[in-house]
Amino acid sequence: MTENTEKRARTLIGAAKRRSGVFGAATFAGLLAFSLSQPALSAQEEGAFPTADEVGGDVFPDGLKAGDPFPTDIELYDANGKPVELAEQLDGKRSVLALFISAVPASVGELKALEKAVDTNSAQLLFLNTDQVGTALLGGDKIKETARTLRVIKHEEGLKSPMFVAPNNVFAPNGLSNRLGIRGLPTVVVVKADGTVENVFVGSQDWNKRKI
Amino acid sequence: MSMNRRQFLRGTLATGAAGVAGHMGLGLGASPAFGAVHDARGEGTHELFKKFKGNVVLLPGKYSGTVSALDLSAPETLAWYNYGLDGMDMPIPHHIAAMPSADPYKSFDFYQTMQPPGAPYVNENSPEWRDRGDFKMYKMRYDGSGQQNRISVVSDVSEATGMGLGVHVSIGVGQNANKYVAYADGQKDMVLITDLGDDPKIVKAFKCDYDPVSRQLHVSHIFPDSSTGKFDLLGRKGMKTSHEAMLGEELMPADPTAVFVDAWTWHPELPLGAILIRRLGCCVIVNTETWEPVALLSTAKGSPDTFPEVKQKGSTWTYSVPSVLTPLHEAGFTPSGEYFLACNNVLQNNIAVFRSTDPDPLKWKKEAFVEGFGRKYLPLHMGNVPDSRWVFFTIWARKPNNGYICKVDPKTWKVVAQWDTGPDPHTCDCTVDGKYITTVYSGHQAGQSGLVVINADTDEIVARLPSPAGHHDHVVVPESWEGLKSSRSTSV
Repeated sequence: MTENTEKRARTLIGAAKRRSGVFGAATFAGLLAFSLSQPALSAQEEGAFPTADEVGGDVFPDGLKAGDPFPTDIELYDANGKPVELAEQLDGKRSVLALFISAVPASVGELKALEKAVDTNSAQLLFLNTDQVGTALLGGDKIKETARTLRVIKHEEGLKSPMFVAPNNVFAPNGLSNRLGIRGLPTVVVVKADGTVENVFVGSQDWNKRKI
Repeated sequence: MSMNRRQFLRGTLATGAAGVAGHMGLGLGASPAFGAVHDARGEGTHELFKKFKGNVVLLPGKYSGTVSALDLSAPETLAWYNYGLDGMDMPIPHHIAAMPSADPYKSFDFYQTMQPPGAPYVNENSPEWRDRGDFKMYKMRYDGSGQQNRISVVSDVSEATGMGLGVHVSIGVGQNANKYVAYADGQKDMVLITDLGDDPKIVKAFKCDYDPVSRQLHVSHIFPDSSTGKFDLLGRKGMKTSHEAMLGEELMPADPTAVFVDAWTWHPELPLGAILIRRLGCCVIVNTETWEPVALLSTAKGSPDTFPEVKQKGSTWTYSVPSVLTPLHEAGFTPSGEYFLACNNVLQNNIAVFRSTDPDPLKWKKEAFVEGFGRKYLPLHMGNVPDSRWVFFTIWARKPNNGYICKVDPKTWKVVAQWDTGPDPHTCDCTVDGKYITTVYSGHQAGQSGLVVINADTDEIVARLPSPAGHHDHVVVPESWEGLKSSRSTSV
């Protein structure tokens, strides 16, 4: 068990005690024993799944919080499937990054409401599809197919903001959702001009009442 | 000593009426014993397959759009049905459960769920695929009483109830025998219980939602519209995510409330059932006399045995789920009812063993874990034998690994045998006599695929049959309500 996982386990136990009052010392001992029993295989080994240790110790990790730097070295493509740099897109501006997934209706439904809620004089709004559509039956390039799906969504929803493909691999410890600790979409991250996180909103919000 | 029709038939074939002479005596044409069943006596493979007499295997073809009934003793397909005949574009027969039948060559009923194409492996979420396929539940009937065997639709359960669900289906046993069938779905996080009638009636329905901020699970009864008596949840209505989480994909970002309900399994002795919740590594134990949740089991190693109920308001029960150390996939009971086993996967790959004999599930404790699967192999499905002497599991793996089937000794909770039956293995079931294990593999929906039969005690693979249909599930038609306890009821 690494120092991080041990810290995470202790945090969980503490949180569990506070929330339920039923988590005992045996729980931590069990978690410790389990983590020690995990083989130390390379995370890149083909077909391997991540260990708890590699994804924050929990199916629902804490995730990004205010003050954290938002990573700019993520893989990103524009709506035509062309590779782009997030840092260039942020361009030192206060930015609202709406991480969504085309497979979640509630997630797609949030985008239009966000365009009304974000004051583009104070922040730019960017939509990041954090997944790729499947091509198992028809074949084809996943990035291009996902970019095409974005263009369809943009047309159908009447969206104006730039849309991007941010590929995710849930099985890789450094996959985007594991790296950012994201399990619920939409997740809206407000990034300050200095690149640090200002605020995080998980799940659908009442954007009529909440303005950015 | 009583003898049912299936045992009688097996006995007849084994005592001299069989063989070449018998075959010659029958002449050409249909066997007098069955309306349209091939008589394989005298054929070169007869000696190999005759021991399977009495076993009819239902095989839903996830990518052929068909369901077929296989006489394992011939072997031949007795009948098949394409769900496209019901008007569906891109039908994907997903999971299946069969009612008991003393003579499956003559007649039996079964239940089938259908899933839209945005399904595990396929994930065709691109725009052209969004409206193809459907969530459906059908009651089906096999009729082998005449010269032309047939499979036909008895009722469209989804249309009758107003709710379309697409994952596991299981039939009640024990105190719930001959009463109920349960359907579940992980895109809508719902469970529906109906009666077994040809015109199915809604008995109870559940919906599960997670609140990631308070880290609480809400389990609610949901009710049909009082004016129509039906739900308004057909097709994609109520869907939280447009594709079911692929195996091991419980970590994927999804609707924040999504918990990926997968199945309902029935206790073989007590009036209890379990709602399996993949993403939370939890199982809601429900009293089937009141349909009220009575416990929330937490199956991970290192977590408490149960998570506490924090409140009940109206028809909603709220549980605190302070941490989720691993997701699970399937969970079910052994036919004896002594154990409840949960396949933890992804972050922990082990099988939790609860003792499940106490009528109060809050007293169920994790007594052991089956371990040693490493980080590439996921405990997935569970298969029983009638006397609970072994428990079988499908251990699934992503490409390029094949996955395998394993046998676990419930006296030691150790893996005592394992078989690489082929790439992408799915469910296990057993023949009606409990001597053989059947299992399907689908080659990741395109490659090597088929049905494998394993001697449960000698560990020998005794038969392998090809199939191009991409089977995600299968079931051997049980011969009795007691036999259903080791079929699609107690486990999935």
